[in-house]
Amino acid sequence: MAQLNKSPEYAQDLKLLLAEVTELLAATEENLVELEKAPSDTSLIQEVFRVMHTIKGGAATLGLQDAVDVSHSMEALLDEVRSGGRVLTRPLMDSLFSVVDYLEEWSSALSAKREPPSCRKLLGRIRALKDEGDGETKDEVLISKIDSAIQQGKNVFCLKVRFGTDVPLLSVRCFQILTVIEESVEVIGSVPSLEQIESDQVKDVLEIYFSADDNGEEARGIAQKSQDVKEATVARYRARARKNEAAHSKESSEAPVVKRSDLGKTVRVDVGLLDFLMNMVGELVIDRTRLSQIAAQLMRDGETSGTGNEVSSLASHLQRTSTELQEGIMEARLLPLKSIFSKFPRMMRDLSQRCGKEILFDMTGESTELDRTVLEAIDDPLIHILRNAVDHGVEMPEERAAKGKPPKGRVTLSAWHEENQVLVRVEDDGAGIDGEKLKKAAIRRGIVTEEAAAKMTEKEAVEMIFLPGFSTTEVATEVSGRGVGMDVVRVNLEKVNGQVKVKTKVDSGTQVTMRLPLTLAIMRALLVKCGESVFAIPTSSVEEVVSMGGISVGSVQGKRVMNFRGRVVPVVSLEGALRESMWSTSGHKYALLTRTNDQSLALCVDDLIGEEEIVVKEMGRLLSRLKGIAGATILAQGDPAIILDVNRVI
Amino acid sequence: MAAEEATPFENETAARRERQIVAFSLGTETYGVDIASVREIIPIQKIVSVPRAPVFVEGIINLRGRVIPVLDLRKHFGFEQKKGDPNQRIVLVEAGTGSIGVIVDAVSSVLRIPEDSVEPPATVIVGPEVEYIQGIAKVDDGLIVLLDLTKIISEVERRTLKDADLRSAVVQ
Repeated sequence: MAQLNKSPEYAQDLKLLLAEVTELLAATEENLVELEKAPSDTSLIQEVFRVMHTIKGGAATLGLQDAVDVSHSMEALLDEVRSGGRVLTRPLMDSLFSVVDYLEEWSSALSAKREPPSCRKLLGRIRALKDEGDGETKDEVLISKIDSAIQQGKNVFCLKVRFGTDVPLLSVRCFQILTVIEESVEVIGSVPSLEQIESDQVKDVLEIYFSADDNGEEARGIAQKSQDVKEATVARYRARARKNEAAHSKESSEAPVVKRSDLGKTVRVDVGLLDFLMNMVGELVIDRTRLSQIAAQLMRDGETSGTGNEVSSLASHLQRTSTELQEGIMEARLLPLKSIFSKFPRMMRDLSQRCGKEILFDMTGESTELDRTVLEAIDDPLIHILRNAVDHGVEMPEERAAKGKPPKGRVTLSAWHEENQVLVRVEDDGAGIDGEKLKKAAIRRGIVTEEAAAKMTEKEAVEMIFLPGFSTTEVATEVSGRGVGMDVVRVNLEKVNGQVKVKTKVDSGTQVTMRLPLTLAIMRALLVKCGESVFAIPTSSVEEVVSMGGISVGSVQGKRVMNFRGRVVPVVSLEGALRESMWSTSGHKYALLTRTNDQSLALCVDDLIGEEEIVVKEMGRLLSRLKGIAGATILAQGDPAIILDVNRVI
Repeated sequence: MAAEEATPFENETAARRERQIVAFSLGTETYGVDIASVREIIPIQKIVSVPRAPVFVEGIINLRGRVIPVLDLRKHFGFEQKKGDPNQRIVLVEAGTGSIGVIVDAVSSVLRIPEDSVEPPATVIVGPEVEYIQGIAKVDDGLIVLLDLTKIISEVERRTLKDADLRSAVVQ
């Protein structure tokens, strides 16, 4: 209970964490339901795994051990599932649901300042699951085989054979009976299984599951007559009751009531609502323009009866109010970075203590403002990066002393504006990332071949940390090192049009820089023409525009390249890339040098139309996942245009 | 007493038991969609094509400041392309996650169809189309195929998202 009475900042952090946990759990519950339907869907497993990881991290920061333990143990099990070392069995699904239930209970208890429930029982169950390991897994396989036999309309029986005590060569007896029975009926499986019998893992009871047309009496007779058998019984096997379905329907009717009473006191503005308001303002602006046109038309037509004047003054009033409304809503979306930075000093303190490291942590630029969506999207990535800096970056004091560095490590978090972007950087003076070590780990994991690794530059090797499931730390610690991390960072940032770059030097430190758009709703974009189409490309991802006139395009290893101020840059025709047609040199007037993740690329376009402030619009679910397409906008003259994500165009 | 009261009530529902549909033509057929699922019918306007979109996605339009994807049902049903016909219309349907436009050859009328003139699809048609065909209505001048556009759209969405997942899996 003592941990609930800490400083106001702690209370604030706790509130934020609990709100986040509630959100995550709601999504997880849905994911689990989906997962139960499609147990082989690795992306769902990954998603649940990430949630457990995030909750673990958040709870660890605030020293909430119960939640750390529960999420950590679940994470460990899921990791085995993810790597194929464990089958997603029903008991495992059940405990996943219980974990969600527990965490829900835990978070609503903490919100109400009550003592959280004990997690000991749940942990025990998870541990039992983990210990049972293989046997449990095979059981599940057997049960699913039985289930499918029943579904095919077969009569399934369970023959229980009990042996006398101290039977010599018990496994041989089991094997014999199994073989004999197999001759007369169709055996589905047995407990212990044939493999277990062969490796001498037998008990004095053997269960044989089989399907037969009669009442199973024939098989029982055979078993009864066998040597050393004390007793043989047979029973019809019925399909297992799906107990979690019943449990769920109960939950869904009860859970919302609990949530409402506990969360009624906080008002979190949903970004979706702000988006909606922003869209509404957009529509209002278009109506406003129409009204102005109508007013002008009325005046031209010589409408002098006062209606024209009235409409015209109404239009200009609407103009003022809607502009203010637009600005107000945009402003509501901006938040200072402080709102997420403020929890970091505490987190860093706890992390460094846990790792036995001494770290000076500095922050600058907390007052820099960012769009809410962007801010929310960088919160998790920042936690990951900071954790990495403590766990993998800064060395132990002795090691630092041996390298001639000050014993105290330094981690700096800074943020600043640059043009119409915000840069956030985490810098440490630790061990840096060793490209060679990464290569070795990647080869071991079969991510790259040895030859490919040998060809890699240091920079390319470091880039591998962004691959999913990549981590060089063999033992997962409570803090980090499960390979969730940098890939999530990149994915999260790309979702909001941001980029992340890593600069590192062995023994002198690592610098991770995130480049973020100020706002998502409105951005500056270059409008380019390709054939008949007009595309909008965020200005933030274009480094330079060059005229194709003075540039010669050559080819290296069959790829088009151009020499740009001494740099050799691959050249791609934008239209060709998008429409998957062949390169054509005709008509390209300009090339855009794009600033993608650490790689330059020249995109050729037919013509430049200009630069414009564009409002980003959703295209709906149907078109939401096209590669290289970030969304759509409506241009000043009213036509829609596609916004490209140049990071992913190729 | 109960029987006396039930009679007028039954008559009333029988009279009301009809569907209101928006009928449109596509190729040589006449189709109908439930009027409740139609948000708006607009004339054909400038459609901007979307690179990498599924083939039956004709493109996007600007509907009063909103960006709406437009499907070409002709492509979906495997009919020949038809462009520049002034009778063509875009039927806007509310599809759960937002509006989606569907291009049709011409919208003929809003009809009231008595329920008893609608045959269930299974008796007439077999094959995957049965999923989104609600029934076949017999009217004076022929047959109207009653479509569930929302089902077509969600099917298209499902397939597209699955493709996208496959592609991103390959990339990784």
